[in-house]
Amino acid sequence: MKRNLIATILLLAALPAVSASDSAMMSFQRGSWRQLLHSHAGRPMLVHFWGVTCGPCKVELPQLGEFMKQHPAIQVVTIDADLVPNSDTAALAMLRSAGLSLAENWMFSDGFADRLRYEIDPAWQGEIPRTLLIAADGNITTIEGSAEPSVLEKWSVEQRTK
Amino acid sequence: MIHHRRQSMMIRRFTILALATVLAQGAAWAEMNHNHVSETSCEDTALRCASKVTPVFGPDGTLWLAWMAGGQIMTASSRDGGRTLSEPVQVTQGKPDLDWGPDARPKIALDTKGNIAVAFSTFRDKAFNGEVFYSRSADGGKTFASPRPITDNNQSQRFEALGFDRDGTLFAAWLDKRNRVPAAKAGRQYDGAALFFATSKDGGTSFTQDSLAADSTCECCRLGLAFDPSGHPVVAFRNIFEGSIRDHAIVTFNDQGRPGEVHRISEDDWQIAACPHQGPSLSIGQDGTYHVVWYTNGKKRKGLFYARSKDGGKTFSEPLPVGEPGKGPSRPYVLTGAFATAIVWKEFDGERTSVKLMTSTDGGATWSIPTTILSTADASDHPLLISDGERYYLSWMTKADGYILQPIKAVP
Repeated sequence: MKRNLIATILLLAALPAVSASDSAMMSFQRGSWRQLLHSHAGRPMLVHFWGVTCGPCKVELPQLGEFMKQHPAIQVVTIDADLVPNSDTAALAMLRSAGLSLAENWMFSDGFADRLRYEIDPAWQGEIPRTLLIAADGNITTIEGSAEPSVLEKWSVEQRTK
Repeated sequence: MIHHRRQSMMIRRFTILALATVLAQGAAWAEMNHNHVSETSCEDTALRCASKVTPVFGPDGTLWLAWMAGGQIMTASSRDGGRTLSEPVQVTQGKPDLDWGPDARPKIALDTKGNIAVAFSTFRDKAFNGEVFYSRSADGGKTFASPRPITDNNQSQRFEALGFDRDGTLFAAWLDKRNRVPAAKAGRQYDGAALFFATSKDGGTSFTQDSLAADSTCECCRLGLAFDPSGHPVVAFRNIFEGSIRDHAIVTFNDQGRPGEVHRISEDDWQIAACPHQGPSLSIGQDGTYHVVWYTNGKKRKGLFYARSKDGGKTFSEPLPVGEPGKGPSRPYVLTGAFATAIVWKEFDGERTSVKLMTSTDGGATWSIPTTILSTADASDHPLLISDGERYYLSWMTKADGYILQPIKAVP
């Protein structure tokens, strides 16, 4: 309970600046999804759900790191939603080596993960990787499984012309 | 309705003992999991702390449970339908890194002589490669042999299934990633895993050399295992069909114990390079009808489905949707018996998880309207069904309400 409280305080403190840090992951709890959408409203955002134990994620993560480098106008957010929950140490190491340490990085922090997924998409049963492309107008495109870099590129071009 | 929210004095007394003896292990387990909020209400090895509980009835009607709690695999039995439990016995030794993924769970099976076979998966390294272990008790569950790897191959095995056929041969199957090695050497991409199997003629003391049943299966979903009326093992699994389609398949073993042809259960067209962590459930009637339930998110259909086969798994009926689509139906389980076939699954409304039930008394041709039989407000294991030959029971481990074994009234 106390840890949750501290995490919440830290989270609230971190939110206004949305300062990315490469030393810790933000704790994704009930209500985090709404906060996240609210804090980035009006800007195109790529939200990537992944996990350390997910095979295809190992291939995709460095591609996302490259995407972030090439597209500074698009906010990149990662959320560790591993169905086999594990330590943030391993997740941070993977994010760093993928060039994503400066993205906004979250980790599911609820022993009852169903309710976190439900807030994001009630139909989502937890398969990862999963990418949501959220346009400035809030329109969401969901990509199940690995996202092709060409698909991300096409979407990012569309965001510029909007 | 038997609701074992409060365990008996016997269990509570054991819990205190367990707390004293496994405090160090529990602390290590808690530390390992400090980065995510626990799925369980406590961290020691008592049943009430379990994240997964697997039940089975022995030939004499004794209920046996194998569970995962405090980082260990535990077993105990009950002669009164779960009201009181025998003193739990630990199967694992040391500090195994047990597979805690959603479709992992300890397996337990009993033969007619009273041999108790147990199997479970661990992670062998930080890359989450798995290792399947088995153990056996020949003294009615008082002691278990030191767990041994089911294969000497050192790549990765997970998602084991275990069962005795009617002749007392113990059949084990699992998902195995060994074939990625020759593929890598040949410069080929290797997706998924392979279905491997082995048998034991000595009640689970030793297993035969393992063999391949099917290659290019999905690597992260539970297997459905049942035996046909002749005693042949039948395994339902999520396969990878051409074009990265992760639909379900089934294989029936022949008289020589060799795998037959792999047949497709349904063309759902779920093309996905991801880990669904949701495998099928299979039950076979005395008339030889195969009953299968599964989850898909394919182009052709999405959600939970039921189908049956009356020709030994060669062809299946048109998939029947199960559950309310808006409530994320998941984790289906099917059990068929002499008088009825029952399916349970979970639904979630954003706050509570419900276990839904539907039944069929005509071999799966028509089904009752689904009813809610239980619900819980926090994390829970998959709902499972077992039968003692007279009644069906729902077995469900919940964080908030403990372990529940409840007779199902709708099914005779």
